[in-house]
Amino acid sequence: MNTPTIEMDSGRSLRLLLYSVAAAILLSAPHLMPSTYWLRIYAMTGLYVMLALGLNVVAGFAGLLDLAYVAFFGMGAYVFALLSSDQFNIHLPFLVTLPLAAFVTMGVGFALGSTSMRLKGDYLAIVTLAFAQIFKLLLVNLDRPINITGGVNGIYNLDPIRFFGFTLISPVGYAYLIWLAAVVVIIGCFRLKRSRYGRGWEAIREDELAAEVMGVNTSWMKLKAFAGGAFIAGATGAVFASFQDSVFPNNFDFPQLVIVYCMVILGGLGNVPGVILGAVLLSILPEFLREYGAYRMMFYGLILILLMALRPQGIMGSIGFLSAARKRPDKDESGVLRASTDLYYRPEESGSGQGRKRYARSERVVLEVQEVLQSFGGVVAVDKLSFQVREMEILSIIGPNGAGKTTLFNVVTGIYPPTSGVILYEGEKISGLKPHKVVQAGIARTFQNLRLFNNMTVLDNAKVARFCRTKAGPLSILLHLPLYKKEETQTEHDVKEALDLFGARLTGYRFNQEAMFLSYANRRRLEIARAVCTGAKVLMLDEPSAGMNPQETEEITAFIKELRDGHGYTIVVIEHKLNVVKSISDRVIALDYGRKIAEGSFEEVADNPQVIEAYLGRKRH
Amino acid sequence: MDAYLEQLPQQLVNGLTLGGVYALIAIGYTMVYGILLMLNFAHGEIYMIGGFAGWWTLNLLTRNNVPMINAALLIFFMIVAAMMVTAFLGMTVERLAYRPLRKSPRMNLLLSALGVSMFLQNAVLTFQGAKPRFFSTSALIPESIRIFNFGTVVISFMRILVIAVAFLLMGVLTVFIKKSKVGKAMRATAQDSEAASFMGIDTDRIIVLVFLIGSALGGAAGTLVGLLFTQVDYYVGFQAGLKGFTAAVLGGIGNIFGAMLGGIILGLLEALATTFFPAAYKDVVAFVVLILVLMFRPWGLMGEKVPEKV
Repeated sequence: MNTPTIEMDSGRSLRLLLYSVAAAILLSAPHLMPSTYWLRIYAMTGLYVMLALGLNVVAGFAGLLDLAYVAFFGMGAYVFALLSSDQFNIHLPFLVTLPLAAFVTMGVGFALGSTSMRLKGDYLAIVTLAFAQIFKLLLVNLDRPINITGGVNGIYNLDPIRFFGFTLISPVGYAYLIWLAAVVVIIGCFRLKRSRYGRGWEAIREDELAAEVMGVNTSWMKLKAFAGGAFIAGATGAVFASFQDSVFPNNFDFPQLVIVYCMVILGGLGNVPGVILGAVLLSILPEFLREYGAYRMMFYGLILILLMALRPQGIMGSIGFLSAARKRPDKDESGVLRASTDLYYRPEESGSGQGRKRYARSERVVLEVQEVLQSFGGVVAVDKLSFQVREMEILSIIGPNGAGKTTLFNVVTGIYPPTSGVILYEGEKISGLKPHKVVQAGIARTFQNLRLFNNMTVLDNAKVARFCRTKAGPLSILLHLPLYKKEETQTEHDVKEALDLFGARLTGYRFNQEAMFLSYANRRRLEIARAVCTGAKVLMLDEPSAGMNPQETEEITAFIKELRDGHGYTIVVIEHKLNVVKSISDRVIALDYGRKIAEGSFEEVADNPQVIEAYLGRKRH
Repeated sequence: MDAYLEQLPQQLVNGLTLGGVYALIAIGYTMVYGILLMLNFAHGEIYMIGGFAGWWTLNLLTRNNVPMINAALLIFFMIVAAMMVTAFLGMTVERLAYRPLRKSPRMNLLLSALGVSMFLQNAVLTFQGAKPRFFSTSALIPESIRIFNFGTVVISFMRILVIAVAFLLMGVLTVFIKKSKVGKAMRATAQDSEAASFMGIDTDRIIVLVFLIGSALGGAAGTLVGLLFTQVDYYVGFQAGLKGFTAAVLGGIGNIFGAMLGGIILGLLEALATTFFPAAYKDVVAFVVLILVLMFRPWGLMGEKVPEKV
């Protein structure tokens, strides 16, 4: 491996070079345009870059199919037009109307989002589509009985932009203003993507349920993406209205939406540089195809179909063949195949020294399940179940298939609210809380059938779990305030420490490997590491050794024990392999048909006739 | 209020006509959703092209507004031609735009459907122009039976035809789904396509069939509306598609009988709303209904609320 410092320095100077080239282009371009016509296209390109990036926040980052996006664009434009024209004789200065347009639009987006965000993906698409239609109908029809929107004629002759005693009318001035705004949006998007918000959204896009269970407040984060997109669209709309000096309903129609979607998808959903490139390409390219004007929208339709079929990740997509070829995960820099199993893990090797504190179970109750009942229609999966979990104990839950073990985990972690009954954690009621609240309270889980964020790196998978322990808001992230920087450093540190528990399995070059490239056993380990990263005190492991070979099973068993002995976690584990159960459990609970049929030490439970019956069936008399 | 009551029977008839059309469109949405869990945004365009197919047939078989064959036969041909063209189109769209995406995320399918919709709409715009095309139906129906009066209620022959054809098609579909072997295979695929394929059902063929039937019904609806309102243009599919979708959601998406019910209810609601609101806002009614249903009863009138499986 190269020394990291040199890499970082060359990276920094490359970035500086890139910045200065971009700055030079942006400063000189308005003066280099051959005609005012091209200057106009240059300015429009800037507007499209902003629009596409805003949509990218909603559709790309958070994966929400927002079909009201162009309506939000229109709303910003109309708010601006109404507040700075003769329509109502209101003439507010630009520096007031611009933020006003953006915030009003965001407010509407927030309201629409909060009513419809509970809906699954395609329903959201339909609600937003209906909203866009209502918006358009209102624009066209609200010229009677009182003339508000100007109907199909729109509103024109808007006030010129004035600030600090300086009036902006020249096309060159507009080009600078628009691209300045575009640069602000670009920087903001890059910062968002790299922050806890970006990781949270990516996790939601990958697997919404897993994101929620790992502590991401998914509905709130989706709403933020939706409102954030509306904010950018509204601001862009205001600038657009001023630039065009008028607004018409037709500026904000459905074809416009498809064009912006084409830009985002061409660039690759979620890929900021790609989306910028997509917006630039699709703003300029049609100008060369002028004589085929009639075919233009057909062409956009075709782009969508073809991209989805052939290259859904876009021209610069990160999941594509291009980047996969660049970073072969199984080879190191020199192209030598990496060994798949370096060293078998031994607990005493994992970072900690000898003199470290050891933990053992106490009698204090941390988690208490009281009379919990969970039924689906007529099927009772968990039937009036009560038990307690003591601090720092390892409690195993066993039972035949369909006994309700995983459902019990789902109820405790908040995925299903229990039909009746109460769950207490540290004396506080947690039943009825959403999963992310349960994690925040201190209970984290893993999934029986692995639910990692497959396209995210090992490091990012773990960082998502820190979401609920960090609080940097949009302002901190966008302005890189000290809170954000402190938290990011802390997150990086915490996460690496947790991954280091597994030694070389998840560290080193594997930090930047995508989860889907990990071996099966390593993915299981990452699931546990992710749960550890949430900072929870209680870990609920759903069949941690499922599908592992005897060697790996032994290793994971030792590891679970070490999590308690060396780190003081309280562990509830569902396990089928009875030798594992025998070697780690302080206590065992056996379930059958959702009821507790035995509780006690492994031997007590294993000798219980009811348990034997549940596993092997009744003896014939 | 009295004036309103007087209008009521008339509006009920109008609503039933619209409702039959919406139901036909909704079936296409709901069948596709039931099996592929996708919203076929392009379904509205299929309906629009159905309207054009009817218009082409009418043009082909009339000269100077005089039908060259028996008028009843001509109307029959129009509907059949519309159904054939749209069935073929629906299958083609499935094959080219949706099948390659069977395993990709749902959002990709939706975007592809959006692309298909945009493509078809603008293809018609390019090759047929933006001007509406008129159905010269005056010569098709003898003066004597063109309009019936029942007291204050006026019912045109075309309305009766639309209601009759729509309900006939729905009846045939119901029998097909409930009684035939293929219908059973369809229901099985909708419930669990993987399990169905293990039981020897060729689910790919079922999917093709679903697109075929759904599109054909949408195409029939397009021609029926053309006959009723005597015109079609490249843009009608968008609104009609939204209405059909609203009807499907109202009835409980994925449920064929729900789609029929939802369509009829939506048609009636719209017709009744025109007595209260200016006509320009007629379309708002459907969208408001849609948003309310999605917010308060997203599984629809006849759909079942299913807990999400983890």
